[in-house]
Amino acid sequence: MGHRGAGAQGEAGMKTTTVLLAAAVVAVASAAVTAADAPLTARQQRGEKVFDVKCLPCHGPGMWGTNALARRMPRDRAELARRTDLNAVMVKTLMRTGIGSMPPIRKTEVTDADADAIADYLTRNSKP
Amino acid sequence: MATPALLPPGVSAADFQQALKEFAGVVGADWVLTSEEDRHTYLDAFAPGDAATHACSAAVAPTTAEEVQAIVRIANRHRIPLWPVSTGRNLAYGGSAPVVRGSVVLDLKRMNRVLEVNNELGYALVEPGVNFFDLFEALQAKGGKLWISTPAPGWGSVIGNALEHGVGYTPYGVNANSICGMEVVLANGEVVRTGMGGVNPGGKEWQVFKYGYGPVWDLMFTQSNFGVVTKMGIWLLPEPEAVANFSITLPGMGDLAAMVDTLRPLRLDDTINAPYTIMNPYRAIMDPMSAQGKTRSTIYTKPGCMPLDFVEKTLQAQGVGMWSVGFNLFDSDKGLDLREARIREAFDKVPGAVIKTMRWHRGEPLAGWMRVSPVLFPLAGVDWYGGPGGHINYAPVVAPIGSRITDIYESIYKRYVEYGFDCYCGFLNIGPRAIVVNPCTFFNREDAEMTRRARELARVLYKDGAAQGFGDYRAHISFMDDVADMYGFNNHAARRLGERVKDALDPNGILAPGKQGLWGTAARARRGKPA
Repeated sequence: MGHRGAGAQGEAGMKTTTVLLAAAVVAVASAAVTAADAPLTARQQRGEKVFDVKCLPCHGPGMWGTNALARRMPRDRAELARRTDLNAVMVKTLMRTGIGSMPPIRKTEVTDADADAIADYLTRNSKP
Repeated sequence: MATPALLPPGVSAADFQQALKEFAGVVGADWVLTSEEDRHTYLDAFAPGDAATHACSAAVAPTTAEEVQAIVRIANRHRIPLWPVSTGRNLAYGGSAPVVRGSVVLDLKRMNRVLEVNNELGYALVEPGVNFFDLFEALQAKGGKLWISTPAPGWGSVIGNALEHGVGYTPYGVNANSICGMEVVLANGEVVRTGMGGVNPGGKEWQVFKYGYGPVWDLMFTQSNFGVVTKMGIWLLPEPEAVANFSITLPGMGDLAAMVDTLRPLRLDDTINAPYTIMNPYRAIMDPMSAQGKTRSTIYTKPGCMPLDFVEKTLQAQGVGMWSVGFNLFDSDKGLDLREARIREAFDKVPGAVIKTMRWHRGEPLAGWMRVSPVLFPLAGVDWYGGPGGHINYAPVVAPIGSRITDIYESIYKRYVEYGFDCYCGFLNIGPRAIVVNPCTFFNREDAEMTRRARELARVLYKDGAAQGFGDYRAHISFMDDVADMYGFNNHAARRLGERVKDALDPNGILAPGKQGLWGTAARARRGKPA
């Protein structure tokens, strides 16, 4: 994400990016496929562990984030850990920008290395 | 390091660069966060207006009290305002954003150690970055013998919640009551340990007796800007033999006073031994819908406050009374039987009361209704109008006298109708003698007109409340001066006292200027105009 200068204008620019990414999430989601779970790599295992602690309270079955996504797509695709159509760059970017009512996640909460691991875990079943 | 995009007020670019360099010397360059992407993560995610009003210039994230000391000394040299946050998740009150635009956020999230869990004595010693999920896990790892008093959303800091006078739903209630012993870094960089922690060397009984010797300082560091709390002891509830859940409803729109007056003596004599929450009819409709991810448009599409007759019909169709209260009791099974009998006897005298109960016994898995394990789903309500949402709470403290509660509720309800918001309202009993009347204004953040109306509604409610003799017990960063204005007795004598303390401890005004309306001489010119 490029440096866009300070203040309200820069932050408004960020919002536009978020909206575009949101549109991309919905567009990609419409092409979901099913895939059997392969064994997790070490980094994906790390990603799963961090995801379960940091993300699952909202993105677990029947939780707030899952319900919010289910308003925009079929419920069976609303649980992030079961998705087969996510993109790693998008996952990591949305963690940092926030989307909808989801607040941004700071580096002090989830480090860049752990954010990469979460993205790797969530995209393990996605087609490149 | 790139040219800073935003400077702290009154600080030159060169001085700020120098301060950032010195911060990096303390915590490492990776933990001085200045990029636009990083600064964005510190914006108030539920801002009732333009979040940039409270943007930070940078964040610095230490891992030890020694690093906090060094940062505070650097900030003093360069006159950099610091805004300490524990986990930065007090959404609806500002999240991790500072009152003063351009402050540097002192992000304590990386100080995330549970330093001690003591099952024998029922306490934990924690750092500020520990949230309720973390402490819950640490307690479970030691056998689950102690319970936390978790607030509605569990991602908040255990320390931050106690410092902000947050409330849990066990008999321990207001978490500030459970604080025992703090380590605090003062604005001059000195470390103080309160209470028995002051015994030298190494006070052994820091977490068992609050008072030590001489003045008691702990509460002075709550809802203030007098120091940075880096460790805190917190008393925890020993696992009880059993827990009972009560859900009691009364049928009529006019039954609020009966509800309050029936509960009062039961709470005062400790029959009800934990905080209760009364829900108004709007909340009774909205909470279950939000929990399922449903928004307002699925039941009602017109603007304004949903009319009372619609609300009444909706609840009648669900077979739900207009007023409901929920609470848990903690005791042995036999003790719960006695408590339940007294509660039933009291509510038998109220026409139409319906009582439902559940019980848990030691050894059974924890159930959601016990509110012992942390959750986040209460936040789902922010999407009531479709989202992306936010909410503003009005939170005056009112005694549990039926007529008094009814009067203030009716004046609040009129304002919600006037400003066109659904009047979602809870009544959180924060002690035997007090209720926080807690209406919550949900709004869509991207709807500028609705957000403006929500802001105006908050400000008119603060003015109404003060005129009626009530004061709020907490405030969003945009409203800290407004709520401080409610406490104006004797030309703001209480605030002036606070500011004299502020000036003595923090003459350069570097710690959280504007927090709770306390600015201090160095920053006072910005009162009422924090941006």
